[in-house]
Amino acid sequence: MSDIDCGTIRELIPDFVSSRLGEDELQLVEAHVPSCGECRAELELAQMILASRPVAPAELLSRITRAVVRERTAQRTPPRTWWGVSAAAIAALALGIGISSKPATQTSDVPGYAYEADEGEIWVSDDGLLAGAPLFDNLSDDQLQELLDELTAGSVGGSA
Amino acid sequence: MREEARLGAEPSDLELVQRGRSGDQAALGMLAKRHHAAAYRVAISLVGEDDLAQDVVQDAFLKAFRALGGFRADASFRTWLLTITANEAKGALRKRTRRRETPIEDVGPILSDEVGPAQAAITAQEAGRARKMMEQLPEKQRLSVSLRIEEGLSFKEIGDVIGSSEGAARVNYFHGIRRLRELME
Repeated sequence: MSDIDCGTIRELIPDFVSSRLGEDELQLVEAHVPSCGECRAELELAQMILASRPVAPAELLSRITRAVVRERTAQRTPPRTWWGVSAAAIAALALGIGISSKPATQTSDVPGYAYEADEGEIWVSDDGLLAGAPLFDNLSDDQLQELLDELTAGSVGGSA
Repeated sequence: MREEARLGAEPSDLELVQRGRSGDQAALGMLAKRHHAAAYRVAISLVGEDDLAQDVVQDAFLKAFRALGGFRADASFRTWLLTITANEAKGALRKRTRRRETPIEDVGPILSDEVGPAQAAITAQEAGRARKMMEQLPEKQRLSVSLRIEEGLSFKEIGDVIGSSEGAARVNYFHGIRRLRELME
């Protein structure tokens, strides 16, 4: 048996174990392997690898789908002014909602604004100011609540 | 009537990509359904833990779908997605200080309906041991073996995913196989 024969067979083994070979190549492998210990050992190894391949968790597909829908929905939302984003950030702070640094961990009930606020570019307003947190770090809970009340009452830009 | 509709065939990935570019979320869903398992296997092969692998796959799909407009079909959508997944996984690994090995009992369930000839001869214990040994391979060898055997990618496609030439992918695969055989003995 020549080395070339074994080389050819070993090229085919991955497709053989996955039943992806055509009839001619299939017969080639089946004729060779029984009489070649080296190729048989490699074939068995490939079978073991295939048999133990990890299985994707059942929830992964729905998780991907939710993330895609969430992102597409966010993209359709009209761009906010930096004040608008600030309002969202304040609301998140006042309500004690943590804004994760990783969208992958968001659940489907996270409001759209929180998801958008998580996207890095949206934190930078047109005039270069970082919207939200830097302006309100030193405010007390009462002051934040008062500001939130004003914002939710539609008086943004009034006394703040 | 279009040929595929007449024959009742599934739309190709390329057609789904084109529909996805037009905002067809159902098409994106079909792409995700087709390829999330392969992406997960690439991710878990590189990062070694389930939660992180799922994060990686989700992020990879989001990136791929954002970039559909730039997909030129030089490679298949699957190869392109797996390349993005591998890059995401490597990025995730860089952020992590140390890699936890997957315990042998954490290896996913053994497949029984997608295996090839003579599969019954392979026991779950042997297969689990082979998987454990794969974790000891260098990253490119591990990924080359996984992509060739589990996903059926060509060496050219594997090269695209691991960022090397077709020849280098082939060498990585056969080095990996040789090393695995040594480890299994």
